Amino acid sequence: MTVAVQASGRVERARGRRRIGSRTLSGYMFLTPWLIGFIGLTAGPILVSLYLSFTDFDLLQSPNWVGAANYVRIATADPKFLSSMKVTFLFVLFAVPLKLAFALGVAMLLNKGIAGLPVYRALFYLPSLLGASVAIAVLWRQLFAGSGLINQALALVGIQGPSWISNPNYALSTLVVLSIWQFGSPMIIFLAGLRQIPRDLYEAAAIDGARPWHRFWRITLPLLTPVVFFNAVIQTIEAFKAFTPAFIISEGTGGPIDSTLFYTLYLYQEAFSNFRMGYASALAWVLVVIIALFTAFSFLSARYWVHYDE
Amino acid sequence: MARLITNRRQVLKLGAALGGLAASGLSMPALAQDKRVRMFWWGSKERADRTNKVNKLYEAAHPGTAINGETLGWPDYWPRLATQTAGRNAPDVIQMDYRYIVEYARRGALLPLDEYLPSVLKIEDFGKPAIDCGRVEGKLYGVNLGNNSTAIVYDAETLQQIGVEEPSWEWSWAQWGDWSLKVAQASKRDGFWGIGDCGGIEPALDCWLRQKGKALYTAEGRPGFDVEVMTEWFGFWHELRQKKAIPPADIQALDKQSPETSMLALLHSAAIITNSNQLVAHQVLSKTKLKMTMQPSGGPGAKPGQYLKPSMLFSIAARSQVAEEAVRVANYYVTDVEAGKVLGVERGVPASKTLREAVAPTLDELSRAMLDYVSFITDKVGDLPPSPPKGAGEINFLLKRVNEQVGFDQAAPADAAKQFVDEANSILDRG
Repeated sequence: MTVAVQASGRVERARGRRRIGSRTLSGYMFLTPWLIGFIGLTAGPILVSLYLSFTDFDLLQSPNWVGAANYVRIATADPKFLSSMKVTFLFVLFAVPLKLAFALGVAMLLNKGIAGLPVYRALFYLPSLLGASVAIAVLWRQLFAGSGLINQALALVGIQGPSWISNPNYALSTLVVLSIWQFGSPMIIFLAGLRQIPRDLYEAAAIDGARPWHRFWRITLPLLTPVVFFNAVIQTIEAFKAFTPAFIISEGTGGPIDSTLFYTLYLYQEAFSNFRMGYASALAWVLVVIIALFTAFSFLSARYWVHYDE
Repeated sequence: MARLITNRRQVLKLGAALGGLAASGLSMPALAQDKRVRMFWWGSKERADRTNKVNKLYEAAHPGTAINGETLGWPDYWPRLATQTAGRNAPDVIQMDYRYIVEYARRGALLPLDEYLPSVLKIEDFGKPAIDCGRVEGKLYGVNLGNNSTAIVYDAETLQQIGVEEPSWEWSWAQWGDWSLKVAQASKRDGFWGIGDCGGIEPALDCWLRQKGKALYTAEGRPGFDVEVMTEWFGFWHELRQKKAIPPADIQALDKQSPETSMLALLHSAAIITNSNQLVAHQVLSKTKLKMTMQPSGGPGAKPGQYLKPSMLFSIAARSQVAEEAVRVANYYVTDVEAGKVLGVERGVPASKTLREAVAPTLDELSRAMLDYVSFITDKVGDLPPSPPKGAGEINFLLKRVNEQVGFDQAAPADAAKQFVDEANSILDRG
């Protein structure tokens, strides 16, 4: 019996090898539409942009090979590269931690077992869905304009607010606030993470007399670090790539005085306003490298602060 | 290396696929016997309505031809046109700006129109200057769609309400400054001035430089300004700002150089510097009645600051499959009386004298004002400067940014002037 099964199993495997081949093939056949899209619309253009980054392509004329000239210019002679990098780094530095802290705070409130949780969850998630849309950026412009809603509210308590979006000292902070407001997706993930923390740990801690703050610091946060790590990586990448809000709020100018000139916005200007497609491609690849470095750094640092439950 | 070059065509095609995506709706192959002419223009809804109407008229008069119109706002128009051209998928009839015609023509993206003169393109009665503005290196690449100039559009109704006199075309820059302060003081509205801060507005600087016998750009495409003259310029506006005669920097920064965000539309000023054919666009945004006058005068002995220019042109794509039909469409726009009546002066005052005279009696009050304005200034303007060099668009934004630095007290006028001249030079060096 066993022998028969083994034998037939061997036959099965032998036949299966051939069949797996045809199965794999049909699998790829089913994937074809996606593959065509991926190669033609994603991988292809990415490779082309790598080639273009070594040319002086200006959209109208054929590209000429210029070697590393674009990269040399980025590294040595482009003040806007530095200033836009600074804006983007400031944005990442403030938007990511604040957003994660806010998302975690709301997630912990929602985790208290309140009635109608699904409704609240959906409501809080809503801004993330609308987040990068043009409509929200337009709304933001209205909110923070000189005579916008924020200043009308401030006027009620006797404060005359500045024109937030058109003042170089505040324009970037309005974009940070906009980003924090879109805390929905990290919040959902935090919420799922919180629910996986075993209740008995808290009960044991409570019996030992641990205060809420201690419970958060000693139990919740350590057990949540894998989720924090995941959210931090994703949100950092998102923040580096942020484009739409700055584009809409400054109408593509990055103003006032380049205070909202995100790196991505500068890249867009070079490509589509100044027709330096080759240079813009080089800028894009520099961004890819920077994001990759940040992600690699996060993963390397993870072993020192992320606790996996193993 | 060599392999890359043999592959270049393919590479280009792939690269263009990105941009071509957006254009895919336009790239339908022409159907059966129908000649399909694609037309692309920038502008407001008002312009789209008029243009579509004229295209319908053309189709009715020319059976077998269909015109596919497509329109975008100015900032989105140029990236789209460039990507379509790169993807060898340019529209047949292209609305072209004087700023870009040299760039497109030199790169072989546009069709020389001389062979269609005068068989298809009947524009002799434009007169030489109005034809030649469409020439690049001797060849005709653009058909003048209408003349305009810069102008100051002001809110006559509000001025009357607050009891301040209307501005005059003979006023000097300083007089405009005094008047602006007077408006600010007379108005009970919070945050309201006579005129916005024009230190960052290119047409204003252009006019001011020409009055001093200089220019924005020389014929060789180099800066026509120096540190000294720019110090004076930024200084002039800085002084007005300190006297509170013009809006402070954080209000002025709301102006993103579109009619919707102008100081006039945002109710922060009674007057703005703009293009004369944009009176309609500004009036649509304003509840009160607008009028138009010239930019400030340079005073006695000054040269004319303003000039008449083609507000836009029609060019034909070099690769157009229906080139002759496309030229015929362009010709229809600038010579046909029925078309002219629909178009009015929305794209500028028609260059054809016959058409102008036929259209004039049918114009509404606002359009009439534009026509009268162009007639009024015709003997007060100078020659059309050469088409601006590559990089001019970037310098336009640079001017705005540097003026903001002065406004936010981040730079003194003299430092700002030096920075402006340095950066403008490096932009032009880079090309």
